[in-house]
Amino acid sequence: MFARIATVFVFAISPAACSDDGADVGESASSGSEPGSGSGSGSASGLASQDLSGSTEDAVILSAVDEYRTYVHDEVSTLVDKTTVFTDAVRAGDIDAAKAAFAPSRFHWETIEPIAGLVEQIDGAVDARVDDFANETDPAWTGWHRIEYLLWEQGDVAAAVPFADQLDADLATLRDQLAGLELPPAAVALGAAELVEEVSEGKITGEEDRYSHTDLWDFAANIQGARKVNELLTPAVQQRDADLVVEIEDGFLRVENGLEPYRDGAGWKPYSELTDEDRAQLAAELADLAESLSTVPGTLGLS
Amino acid sequence: MDTTRALILRRHSLLLGGAVAAAAVAGAGCSRGPDDEQRASSSSPPPTGRGFHGATQTGVATPAHAHSLAAAFHVLARDRAELAEALRDLSSSVQLLVEGVYPPDRDPAMPPAHTGVLGAVSVPVEATIAVGASLFDDRYGLADRHPRELVTMPFLANDRLDDAWSHGDVLLTLAADRPDAVLHGLRQLMRATRRTLSLHWVVDGYSRPDAPGSVAGRTQNRNLLGFKDGSANLHVANDAEMETFVWIADGDDQPWAVGGTYQVVRLIRLLVERWDRTALTEQESIIGRDKVSGAPLGLDAEEADPEYGDDPTGKRIPLDAHIRLARPRDAVTERQRMLRKGFNFQKGFDGAGLLDQGLAFVSYQRQLADFLAVQQRLAGERLEEYTLPFGGGFFFVLPGAQDSDDWLGRSLLDA
Repeated sequence: MFARIATVFVFAISPAACSDDGADVGESASSGSEPGSGSGSGSASGLASQDLSGSTEDAVILSAVDEYRTYVHDEVSTLVDKTTVFTDAVRAGDIDAAKAAFAPSRFHWETIEPIAGLVEQIDGAVDARVDDFANETDPAWTGWHRIEYLLWEQGDVAAAVPFADQLDADLATLRDQLAGLELPPAAVALGAAELVEEVSEGKITGEEDRYSHTDLWDFAANIQGARKVNELLTPAVQQRDADLVVEIEDGFLRVENGLEPYRDGAGWKPYSELTDEDRAQLAAELADLAESLSTVPGTLGLS
Repeated sequence: MDTTRALILRRHSLLLGGAVAAAAVAGAGCSRGPDDEQRASSSSPPPTGRGFHGATQTGVATPAHAHSLAAAFHVLARDRAELAEALRDLSSSVQLLVEGVYPPDRDPAMPPAHTGVLGAVSVPVEATIAVGASLFDDRYGLADRHPRELVTMPFLANDRLDDAWSHGDVLLTLAADRPDAVLHGLRQLMRATRRTLSLHWVVDGYSRPDAPGSVAGRTQNRNLLGFKDGSANLHVANDAEMETFVWIADGDDQPWAVGGTYQVVRLIRLLVERWDRTALTEQESIIGRDKVSGAPLGLDAEEADPEYGDDPTGKRIPLDAHIRLARPRDAVTERQRMLRKGFNFQKGFDGAGLLDQGLAFVSYQRQLADFLAVQQRLAGERLEEYTLPFGGGFFFVLPGAQDSDDWLGRSLLDA
């Protein structure tokens, strides 16, 4: 998985690959490849490695960015609240309540993942998978997936307590840092594509939530977050390419309709219930949407 | 970021300087070599061969290329209209590949319109579209269009068919003189059909094409058993042979299928370690030809008729030799010929440390029954000890696109 994401990074920064000294490439590519650094963890955002310098004076886009900033802050607040429900259950030693609160706690992280991922050290601390570490006992492996492993694989809720405390602390840091983070318009425009890419390249394999199989919660959150970005940017895209707006809307509807059969009450069915054919169908719809969204930054003059 | 920004500025200044074509391909490569010099010249070479339009697709009755690839897909289109859209998109992309031209350049702020793998100048890539029997199930209302003989490839002699390597709704076959061109072609076709075609299996490899005008009955091509492969093949330059043995004609089959042909793909692993431990005399006796020269055993020339009439008991060429079973050269079986365009592949090694190499057997024939008759004769041949067919499938190559209003698949889908 990491190798695949790394490939995406390299393509994303391809202009830098032609620079004479190649320094940018070395930096970006290696930052995620050190075991334990977590910044390149499978779920990390690609935005941190991309050129976000594209700027704009367009009032429609700038207003969309403003609104998006508000959305991100609201999501982070909800994220902290929902995660506290999860971590409180862990601290109370209630493994069933903890398991039930796991996926809902991640949801509001996944809606804004590319932006949250701009705070790189937090991304690695809260959302890294074991693949970026020596093994399941590596003390550097922290965050949701470490706790997921302890709850589902080990059935050891007590061992998860220190990681729950750490997760709360890291998300508090995230909230503080995001409050002061400048949000480049290019990051917003790329964010939608990044969220869909995220699902279509990696999560479709079911490796994200491999112990709990709650991947569909993450899918739905990624799509919801991408939907939000798209909704805010639509007026600006509409002015430049009305056909693209229709194409993207169609793509979102297909993906959302494709997920619908797997809804289960307020949540989602275990990803392990999907057949290979089900996954191939979802993957194709996602890849198609990713193709459409990849032209948004260019259309807005932000790449 | 400074270097990135500098480069972006450089690209913009190129644009402003009017060198639009050069800037548009700037992302295609970082070399400072011939590519850059070529950028000043036109964006593509003139198309080769007969061109994309015609009664048949171009990739069948054309000389073999050094590099080939076959990729099978599941169709995910929700209805017939979406399937038509997918085939139209695919057809446009195939045309660009066949003609060796790139799609129009895009604004450099957009993802580039092609892979850039080939550099500034594209090269022709043969690409053909074929469909499998599963496309004619109840999804698209095509049951009444089913090519008469098309079935899901059944168990044939010695098979160990693996579902992960077998069958498919659509098969794309690509061929070019360079391996990068084949991979470029696959990516271009797949990006045109992300939503509707889901990759099922893909295999690529190589062969050794014969020079144009080489002597009939001789080939330079060898399979990984080390034997010449294709000495007695049909000749693509021989129109009469193509008409007799390859192309569906009026009255043969479904009316829409005229100009198409049945395509067989057999992915055959060759147990090369065991073969390499087999005595040369045994190898030659199993095949029926001299390993080096390719001549039928006991004769001098590769192109020689094996003269089975002089050898009724198989003293010179055993009765169960591969070439004798495949083509006994009697009146009945001489009507069962096919155009073979297989290629050698290798895909690593297995858990026992044995090389996973083999032959992607590919044949085109007017009647699938002819292929099946040959297979039936080959069943139980001694060569089976060294072969393991594990995948492939039966497909039907769509007729050509007649003109610029036409597209591959139109005759299949139109009412």
